[in-house]
Amino acid sequence: MRNYFTWRVWILLIALLLGALALAPNPWASGVEIVSIDASSDAAQFGLQVGQKILSINGQKVSNEHDVVQALALFDYPEQEVIVKTSEEEIKYTVTNDLGFFVDENLTIVESSVNVSEGSTLLSINSEKISDLEAFEVLYDTLIPEKVIKIDTDEGLIAYLSREIPPLVVSEATKTNLRFGLDFTGGTRVLLHPVSSEEITDEDITTLIDVLSNRLNVYGLSDIKIRSASDWEGNKYVLVELAGVTEEEVKSLISQQGKFEAKVGEEVVFEGGKRDIPYVCRNDGSCSGIRSCQQSTEYWSCTFDFSITLSQDAAEQQAAATEDLDVVSESGQRYLSEPLDLYLDGELVDSLLIGENLKGQATTGISISGPGYGNTESAAVEDATASMNTLQTILITGSLPFDLEIVKLDTISPVMGESFLKNMLFVGLLSILAVGVVILVRYKKFSFFFPVMFTLLAELFLILSFAAVVGWNLDIAALAGILAAIGTGVDDQIVILDEAVRGRKETTNTKERLKRAFFIIFAAYATTVAAMLPLWNAGAGLLRGFALTTIAGVTIGVFLTRPAFASFIEKLDAEKKE
Amino acid sequence: MWEKFQEFYYQHYKKLFFVPLLIVLLALGSLVYTYSTTGDIVAKDVSLKGGTTATIYSSESFPDLELKLLEKFPEGDFTVRSLEAFGSDTSLGVIIEVSTIDADALEPALEEITGLELNGENYSVEFIGGSLGASFYKQMAIALLLAYIFMGIVVFVTFRVPIPSFAVIFAAFADMICTLAVFPLFGIKLSTAGIAALLLLVGYSVDTDILLTTRLLRRHDGTLFVRLIDSMRTGLTMTAAAIVALGVGYIFSSSYVLQQMFLIILIGLVFDVIMTYGMNAGLLIWYLRKKKVEA
Repeated sequence: MRNYFTWRVWILLIALLLGALALAPNPWASGVEIVSIDASSDAAQFGLQVGQKILSINGQKVSNEHDVVQALALFDYPEQEVIVKTSEEEIKYTVTNDLGFFVDENLTIVESSVNVSEGSTLLSINSEKISDLEAFEVLYDTLIPEKVIKIDTDEGLIAYLSREIPPLVVSEATKTNLRFGLDFTGGTRVLLHPVSSEEITDEDITTLIDVLSNRLNVYGLSDIKIRSASDWEGNKYVLVELAGVTEEEVKSLISQQGKFEAKVGEEVVFEGGKRDIPYVCRNDGSCSGIRSCQQSTEYWSCTFDFSITLSQDAAEQQAAATEDLDVVSESGQRYLSEPLDLYLDGELVDSLLIGENLKGQATTGISISGPGYGNTESAAVEDATASMNTLQTILITGSLPFDLEIVKLDTISPVMGESFLKNMLFVGLLSILAVGVVILVRYKKFSFFFPVMFTLLAELFLILSFAAVVGWNLDIAALAGILAAIGTGVDDQIVILDEAVRGRKETTNTKERLKRAFFIIFAAYATTVAAMLPLWNAGAGLLRGFALTTIAGVTIGVFLTRPAFASFIEKLDAEKKE
Repeated sequence: MWEKFQEFYYQHYKKLFFVPLLIVLLALGSLVYTYSTTGDIVAKDVSLKGGTTATIYSSESFPDLELKLLEKFPEGDFTVRSLEAFGSDTSLGVIIEVSTIDADALEPALEEITGLELNGENYSVEFIGGSLGASFYKQMAIALLLAYIFMGIVVFVTFRVPIPSFAVIFAAFADMICTLAVFPLFGIKLSTAGIAALLLLVGYSVDTDILLTTRLLRRHDGTLFVRLIDSMRTGLTMTAAAIVALGVGYIFSSSYVLQQMFLIILIGLVFDVIMTYGMNAGLLIWYLRKKKVEA
């Protein structure tokens, strides 16, 4: 038995070991991890955080996303109808886990997100008279009883009472360091092209990316990737990738320049952004929310309303602008002759009549309202809430340096990702096996079949490890690149085998012939790499992943697996000769 | 027996040139014809033309979806394909491609026709603007051209003799021309993934040419003919392995993008056999025999 373990084989084995460590440092990981959680939710306030692993929910063990959805479904409430009677009106509507309003100690309605008017006094719910706050709370709890929520995490048990379904987004704990692109995880990919008559500098793009990521963060999205891209024609792009299912309004959030201006007449008195508007009320029912909904003949419309605080400078500017205005009288009320007009990207969103008493006065508190529409009341509430959130986010984060055009928008469903991935792995392994059959038919030797199979699998494994090390996002194109790299690997191995086999008739020694094989292999390698290089920047670099995995794959093959394969075959051949 | 065959080959190999040459000329003619009728040498899909690709994931099938879409948008150039799991008749979904309708208009129409509520779970949509598509196409075409130039430089540096190097490059280029020319026969539209496949084809087709050139040019044992047969054995094994692997991929893959890539390389590999052993081999034998005579 010859010593098959030459230094080339050892290098490959060590590379495989390191690859295994890089690929799966924690192969027995289990459980589900919290990817995002609404910061204002009860669950977050009781200590549930992003990054924690959920072990069980109310005693029910969870090991995948589906389990979590099922366990959380237990906290669902059935729909029920309530009749709320106040000092002003009697309203009938359906509720699930929330009455939609609160009362203060005088039973005055506050924080209403339903039709019940704020400021009126609560008299009864479902014709049960309510005398004081305690009675209200008791009744609330019989109508919609608070549930015990116990979530066991790797950082301890969290238990609390709430009516709120924990607003969690989870993903299964990763056993490998492989990261998969949107093709498999689902999500939204947006390629934006700045629209500007002036030339756009790299600095502009950096500012743009800052504002955009800030906007998406403020809006409440966490799993975002933003990078700049350019192409050969000198076009600059911004590529935004959002994992998971994304809401429709994200699109407008990303592409809107969001230039917010408040004007009195033609004069701009303040703009969006921290400088003029240091505080925007949001997620606080006392100064932000849906105020009223009406049904017209065809659709529902709801009105949102939130307050902002102006900086002293902005307030003074407004005071100066209103100083010389006339006072006019309208339906018994006295207003200034010009309203305060609020524009978003040149479109009027709200027009506020300025009361007579504010003439020339510096006021810092302003309330902004706007509509939302829908076929049903809840759709209208949803639409109004979305519009409100978008407007609030834009006011907080200010405008982008220029307008953006969506030139490419992909929304990919996460549902098929896993089955696509399984299919690709299956196809890959089947292809490798098919190659093995060809080798077997041609050389009729199992002593060739097994090394070829091993080398191909080792190559696949090493490319994946490389992707894990550099944190590469594997998408369909990248996996196609891997298949291609393995394909050229097959070619090279056949060259090596043929040089080794044929050599028995020849006078030249095996080393010489393998050297020749490697001449062919290196020449072929260089042409493949040369052919892939132009893809780096072409078309905003969207095929870069493909080019990179192909190049990485053939490089690993040429420098690691094929030398080991060749030296193994050389030894095998030498043994046969003896 | 080999000797007789060798003699026969040496007498007639120049005639063998005509087969690949004729094929290349036919392919060029077909590309020119396509160009004169459609304004481009190849039909492009929405990823290079701009437009919308929508995928509905549903086990239901939607008969007459295309007709119903055309009723709504008479100007739409719809392509509707169903997505099926291999080996069973279960439908995974349906893919709709259209270059003239944008995503926002398509979605409500699809909801109405299918009766499904489309959301992020059961619906994927990819939209690319027309001008970006056109610019992608231009740049990808340039990338492809650059790939050939870079490859050519590598081949020249490797062999350092003009005629054999030129033969390699020409064979690879002819391979792509022929592959592009038969796209209409297979109903293939060129996509960004298709361009990636063409780039891979550069690598695959050059492999066998380099093998052939190295064996004929740099080895000196045995006659030219024996070395030719030898490298054919190796090269054909390589191509066979690639064809089998890609064929398996084409049949079993559930991704349409991958299937298209595999199909393009498969077609290219078949042409590669003709170009490598019909044209490149002939050119090399002619060049080497002439050199010997002169020397």
